[in-house]
Amino acid sequence: MATVLIADDASFMRQMIREIIEPEGYEVVSEANNGVEAVERFEEFAPDIVTMDIVMPKQSGIDAVKDILVRYPAARIVMCSALGQETLVMESLEAGAMDFIVKPFKPESVLGTLEKILEKEV
Amino acid sequence: MSFDRAKYERLFLEEASEYLSEMSQALLSLEKDDAFVESVDTIFRLAHSVKSMAATVGQEDIAAFSHGLEDRMQAIRTRGSLLGASELPLLFRALSQLEEMIRSVEAPGPSRPPDADLLMALESAGLDDSPIVDTGPGALAPKKMGS
Repeated sequence: MATVLIADDASFMRQMIREIIEPEGYEVVSEANNGVEAVERFEEFAPDIVTMDIVMPKQSGIDAVKDILVRYPAARIVMCSALGQETLVMESLEAGAMDFIVKPFKPESVLGTLEKILEKEV
Repeated sequence: MSFDRAKYERLFLEEASEYLSEMSQALLSLEKDDAFVESVDTIFRLAHSVKSMAATVGQEDIAAFSHGLEDRMQAIRTRGSLLGASELPLLFRALSQLEEMIRSVEAPGPSRPPDADLLMALESAGLDDSPIVDTGPGALAPKKMGS
């Protein structure tokens, strides 16, 4: 069973991702509502996957990706973006995020993306 | 996954109400010329979150209006300052409008459509320096949101 950390400042979005992935066997080990917490929770729980919102308070998702990957280069991180954030998505991928999902979330897209990045070698 | 629309609509209303209150506080800080960068970032981020949540529950008008506000805040962030004396009242009007639109979701009947002129005013004077369209009868007084 793959473990997941969900980082998003909106509890609405965290809950939605949780409800999409838990029935499919993923275990949500923790949640974070800003970039700083995301890095802390990653260190604490070492999840298999992180779903990372881009726009968050205290530290952006992109900076959190950089902070995590500098210490844990094998981390699998998928960004959560909204339409119109193409530049930020590109920046996230350049920072080392493996993929992205777009809000509003489509369950099949979320699950397909998580499956895909679990199969990737790191 | 079966999407429990009523449940997420409730969550949206609860969370959006908190965000409106935070945005209002940030606007009041902007009015006092206090913590400019932080206040602009806060309004930008929260408008962005409202947009995403609204789109998820099918509130496309609210999503579009929030997107207009988000874009305006991005323009202010890029510019590094407010544009003239009319931009702040425009932001207060926009927040007031957003609050009315969100509240109308709870009320029976069709949701309140966005004020097209106000949305256009938000979307004008984006990244360029074109003048702001005055769409209202003078500046509105700052208003406490979510009250």
